[in-house]
Amino acid sequence: MKKRIAALTVALSLSMFGVAAVCAQPSATAAAPQAAASATAAVSQAAAPAAAAATQTAVPAAGVAAKAATAPAKGGGAPAKITPNRGITIGMFALIIAVTMGVVVWAAKKTQTAADFYTAGGGITGFQNGWAIAGDYMSAASFLGMSGLISLYGIDGFMYAVGPMFSFIAILLVIAEPCRNAGKYTLGDILSFRSSPKVVRGVAALSTVTVSIFYLIAQMVGAGKLMQMLLNIPYRVSVIGVGALMVAYVVFGGMKATTWVQIIKASLLMGATTILCLLVAIKAGFNPVGFFTDVVSNSAIQEHVRMNVLKDVIAKPGVDYGQRFLEPGLFLKNPLDQISLGLAWALGAAGLPHILMRFFTVPSAKDARKSIIVALFLNSSFFFMISVIGFGAALYLTPQAISAVDKGGNMATLLLAQHMGGGPGSLGGDIFLAFICAVAFATILAVVSGLVLAASAAIAHDVYVNIIKDGKADQQLQVKVARITSLFVGTSAIVMGLMAEKENVVALVALAFAVAASGNFPVIMFSLFWRKFNTAGIVSGLVVGTVSALALVMVSPVMTYPKKVAADAKKVVETLEKKQAGGAVLAEKELQALEKSRAEYVKNKDGKSMVGLDAPIFPLKNPGIVSVPLGFLAAFFGCLLFRERRAEEMFDEIDVRQNTGIGIAKAADH
Amino acid sequence: MSEKQQWEAIANHSKFIELKRRKRNFLFSWWIISTIYYLLLPVISGYFPEAFRVKVIGPINFGYLFILSQFVMAIGVAIYYAHVANKTFDRLTKQLLEALQ
Repeated sequence: MKKRIAALTVALSLSMFGVAAVCAQPSATAAAPQAAASATAAVSQAAAPAAAAATQTAVPAAGVAAKAATAPAKGGGAPAKITPNRGITIGMFALIIAVTMGVVVWAAKKTQTAADFYTAGGGITGFQNGWAIAGDYMSAASFLGMSGLISLYGIDGFMYAVGPMFSFIAILLVIAEPCRNAGKYTLGDILSFRSSPKVVRGVAALSTVTVSIFYLIAQMVGAGKLMQMLLNIPYRVSVIGVGALMVAYVVFGGMKATTWVQIIKASLLMGATTILCLLVAIKAGFNPVGFFTDVVSNSAIQEHVRMNVLKDVIAKPGVDYGQRFLEPGLFLKNPLDQISLGLAWALGAAGLPHILMRFFTVPSAKDARKSIIVALFLNSSFFFMISVIGFGAALYLTPQAISAVDKGGNMATLLLAQHMGGGPGSLGGDIFLAFICAVAFATILAVVSGLVLAASAAIAHDVYVNIIKDGKADQQLQVKVARITSLFVGTSAIVMGLMAEKENVVALVALAFAVAASGNFPVIMFSLFWRKFNTAGIVSGLVVGTVSALALVMVSPVMTYPKKVAADAKKVVETLEKKQAGGAVLAEKELQALEKSRAEYVKNKDGKSMVGLDAPIFPLKNPGIVSVPLGFLAAFFGCLLFRERRAEEMFDEIDVRQNTGIGIAKAADH
Repeated sequence: MSEKQQWEAIANHSKFIELKRRKRNFLFSWWIISTIYYLLLPVISGYFPEAFRVKVIGPINFGYLFILSQFVMAIGVAIYYAHVANKTFDRLTKQLLEALQ
């Protein structure tokens, strides 16, 4: 029996890799950049690399072509590019690699037991852990993507920053301390406490691997695209390079190295953001009212809002287009989608396995509490500063210049750094730009490492040690298995990253969050706080939450719909042909667009989305508002269908443990 | 006494019941209040955007200030929770542990 469960879980976990890879398959042409960017920012943790990827893959998409055709004036000369000084940038990258490798060598010496490997032996202080958790949130995504969004869409971009910041409240109040007190290494440890351990561990491992892998692929693809864009390193080389470093960190250094790499990166990122924000503040004379007055009266911003965002060719009387930049609705259009997204943030982050794992690295609940408060302080200031950088970029660089380099605005922070350092070509500009690029690189490395560790822990600790070996494995074997699993997970991530080059990674990130909020969060809550909760409830909650989130994303507008792509392409073809027929001579750019759109149309006219649809069935990009209640209901009713005496009797134990921390040392050996 | 009875004994201890009751009341009510406040942001911006357009200081409008207030709210709740946890919950836990010895 146990072998069968184990085999099944392993097989399913592995097939998740397959699903993840396939999932993005038909999205090769990617959604229109706007849609892509919106979903991206929605899940801002992975946003920047994802958005970078999305915008790149979206270039051939009809949406862009259509825009280029309707507003040919926009694309005059050669496309603008950002060119960091290669020598300085590579030097800084090398420095970061050298320092982090030093950390790995040091951490490897101290990693002897399974506890060392998964939780750094519980030897991280609350303050250090706070920096590491904050680091998990400050991804290249928020650093590059969010400031870009603000620089192009104003206050709607700033609204996005509230979600990740607020997600700490649920973690602080109801997740961190109870999990620290009752858990050990993984999500499976908490859920299997008073239920049938093998079944629950199997399902929990599956869910952890799903969430982490979706997230991981998105990050890998983003990393590859970012490096390609910044340094002209070929996509394959950068994915393999990032992947190799990530595998080295995790396999040799375990949680200790992963945590310290994250701390180093978080300090660099906070440092870079503070400097950039201060430079903007100095330029604005530390006068917020004056700064925003400049923003709303800037003619470039006014024109950008009128022409590019609202598409009012002739200014409507009585509309203050500058002030409009500070008003909601330029980017976020569907109110229900916003609420759904808000829900995913408020609950989803608390169900992310790689965040959950961080609570186990501190010695006590008090330290877990301290780490969340430190992380909240760091991230609040980080996101606030990012908003200043975003508005600063809009004011000092103009949105037109930013979107000329990258449609999604992802290069705003980098361009601002170059500008503030003295402009392109100057030594100051080169150094500052190189520094920010290196920080973005460190950010990607740190985030992917944490994900690999979380997925490996689920496979090695839950599946191998506890299901196959019945929990009877000595420390040496456990560490060995954990290392082999990390190597395997890391290598698979590299392979999938290579295969997913042209995929729509945005959907993957949306999936990760939706699954965490709808599958993991309800069962964690019930396990900790409801006496009657049992195995049936956990399994049905996890399965229904996960499946409904997956299913809704599959039929949502986030996926690519070839018929729609074809229709957009057709529109471009028709517009251009009409122009041609009218006797006008098309510019070279327009001819290219015409050619491209024709090919696009032929390629997509009979296509169907991955699940065989012509158009999305579910109207929202984020399934949270439906799938979260479904997850809760399934867990609730699934549990009531079966009664489990043992689970009820053992509630006293988990209740006492999670509230008081009694038996916490014991929890660390069981 | 079996292990199960030991846990049961602690769970029925008056100090534990008090700790649990206070914790639950505090944590869940603040969690719900803060979540409602947070969800007001997408609700107002989605359904009542004119409210966010009201200018308060120069070009700075109510929307911008409301977003900033979310940061203040989150930090405020965190500091208040840390204060109550350090003062009340940790003290009650300590008392319980002492009573059990």
